[in-house]
Amino acid sequence: MTGNDVNELVIRHSRILDPATGLDEVADIRLHAGRIAEIGDGLRGVRELDADGLHLFPGFVDVHAHWRTPGREDEESIESGSAAAAAGGFTGVVMMPNTDPVVDKPAIVSGLLRRIERESRVRAYVSAALHAGLGGEQLTEMRLLKEAGAFCVSDDGLGTASAGVLRNGMLYARTADLPVILHCEDHTLATGVVHEGAYAALAGVPGSPASAEDAATATALILAAETGAKVHITHVSTALSAALVGFFKERAEVTADTTPHHLTLTEGLVSTLDGMYRVNPPLRPEEDRDGVTVALRDGVLDFVATDHAPHASEEKELPFEEAAPGFLGHETAFATLYTELVLGGRLSLIRLVEAMSRAPGRWVNGSGSLQVGAPADLALVDLSEEWTVGRDVLLSRSSNSPYLGRSLTGRVVGTIVGGEMIYDRIGTRLGTRT
Amino acid sequence: METRNFLTLEDMEREDLRAVLDLARAHAEGRLGHPLTEKTVCLAFFEASTRTAVSFELAARRGGADVISLSEKGSAIAKGESLIDTVVTLDRLGADAIVLRHPAAGAAALAARHTAAAVVNAGDGCGQHPTQALLDLYALSGSFGGFDELVGRRVAVVGDILHSRVARSVIPAFAKAGMEVALVAPRTLLPLDAGAWELPVLSSVDEALGWGAGVLYMLRLQRERMTGARVPSVAEYARYYGVARRHLGAGVLIMHPGPVNRGVEVSGDVVLDRASLIPDQVAAGTHVRSAVLTLATGAAHEVAA
Repeated sequence: MTGNDVNELVIRHSRILDPATGLDEVADIRLHAGRIAEIGDGLRGVRELDADGLHLFPGFVDVHAHWRTPGREDEESIESGSAAAAAGGFTGVVMMPNTDPVVDKPAIVSGLLRRIERESRVRAYVSAALHAGLGGEQLTEMRLLKEAGAFCVSDDGLGTASAGVLRNGMLYARTADLPVILHCEDHTLATGVVHEGAYAALAGVPGSPASAEDAATATALILAAETGAKVHITHVSTALSAALVGFFKERAEVTADTTPHHLTLTEGLVSTLDGMYRVNPPLRPEEDRDGVTVALRDGVLDFVATDHAPHASEEKELPFEEAAPGFLGHETAFATLYTELVLGGRLSLIRLVEAMSRAPGRWVNGSGSLQVGAPADLALVDLSEEWTVGRDVLLSRSSNSPYLGRSLTGRVVGTIVGGEMIYDRIGTRLGTRT
Repeated sequence: METRNFLTLEDMEREDLRAVLDLARAHAEGRLGHPLTEKTVCLAFFEASTRTAVSFELAARRGGADVISLSEKGSAIAKGESLIDTVVTLDRLGADAIVLRHPAAGAAALAARHTAAAVVNAGDGCGQHPTQALLDLYALSGSFGGFDELVGRRVAVVGDILHSRVARSVIPAFAKAGMEVALVAPRTLLPLDAGAWELPVLSSVDEALGWGAGVLYMLRLQRERMTGARVPSVAEYARYYGVARRHLGAGVLIMHPGPVNRGVEVSGDVVLDRASLIPDQVAAGTHVRSAVLTLATGAAHEVAA
């Protein structure tokens, strides 16, 4: 008898997969006081969860999400964004600063952190802006922002005005000891709304060439190498940009991610002329999707980030040129990648789990493993469940998912943060021993 | 009569520094008389300056020299005459010393190749400002009780090192005086290769005090750089790279080449505090510049004789 310790939970019989250690076996795991206490066979506790037939992974971490707070809580709030994240197995999320107002002042950061404390189900980290108002001119007070609790800086949503401005931003971020997340897009090249390829040509929708991303990525990587800043390139969508990241891996302190949609969808959707499919960077040709997939498989691209970007229906149910760019991402990320890449034979399950948990977790704060003593942030997944993406099942306040109507295999059924079930679709299996 | 140039602090030895400071002290004590009598000192300022120009002019006149002053406005310089042509003209007019201020690094050295007169660099671009460093050593020696008392002391040079000729002179000056030097600046105000000086690079005044700095040498932040691509705001700059009353104590000394941006590099209640050597630095200016002109024109030998 260990006492009726409600701080304890034993999850029994799940298949535990931990990319950090290579562990892959059916076992029991004891969570105590918010941390992983023990992994073994025959563990018993006051509170038990029978997870027979389920997989247990380290909680997923999403370094790129737009929770639209402050300013557009009609599209997403900290509460709804974190609920959507939890439903996708995410236990940690980085919030992007392109809100209204922009997160460019220390008081806004501290205000957001207080709201996160009250409203977020998952661990949320605040990215502040790199430049005031995302204007690409005046640096933000990065050292004061860091003191206020900012986790990183980014002008995400906008590319960078000039190489000279970006270089100073990297130098100052290095001084402030903050990582920089870069959305690489050259606005002198990116003048369209879709990938400039065959489908844009036929559909008559203005295209942005791949060079808009590739040239900006090359510039960012060169500057990262020169300045010594810690740089993360987000939503890499072309094979060339992925190759450039690979070239600079040993030459700069650089990491990179790509998104579920760039790994699973292609520019062919342009022919629908449906604004739902507008996203930035745009969906690319198959060669790019395949190149990015290989780069993720090989670790050239470090991890997956969703770029979860909720939009009100009136901003998406429009012609391409008028629609707001962006897709929901949290709730479908694992299932789409499992269905398309793992079941499709292009990515191993353990690499997918690593790319969603350990790799981003390590980048954020060294988390994402199941070692004893690590925070008990976990995702329970039923790899056999088939489900259909529909507005009725999404917890996000918005419903701009490009996967609406798709049947997927594999579904998150439980999410645990700090030892607490914060998302639970298997409550019936949770039993209490007397 | 042996003349000599004062172009950079980099090529001066420790004993050269001591000689200037000794002569400056003699001047301060009135033992030098009028060493520059019958010497012609030309002030050629290709860039606006108030303090340095006034300080040199006063030093030259008090030493008994004839002074010709060419400022940017109202002279051949304003008419676009080249540096070399101006220097050659002053040379032919019989200048014994040319005091040169110019917006480009290396201008003083270029001038020196075109004249037999001694060239005293009064600041060239982001290059050198040797008399500033010498007067700083003079003020600091006075405060510590002698030039040799500087050995082993720790000084942090704080601020816009990237654009500062003062930094490029005081860093070697302090090092040659036997002091340990650290640099404190954001990466945006440092050269990319900040390791070129082979000195520690620290990230705030607090960190410099933790390192053991007994002297904080604050550089001026140009007004146009206070908010923008290199510095986010005065508030953030002052918080990390400014000295405030809370930093005083344990005998730390504050220096600044002037003019001070109060509330930016130095908070308003520190500028004239007992811990501040800023007034001493200004006072040291004419003594040190008299000594420099005396040595430059070769008059020191005549004084000695």
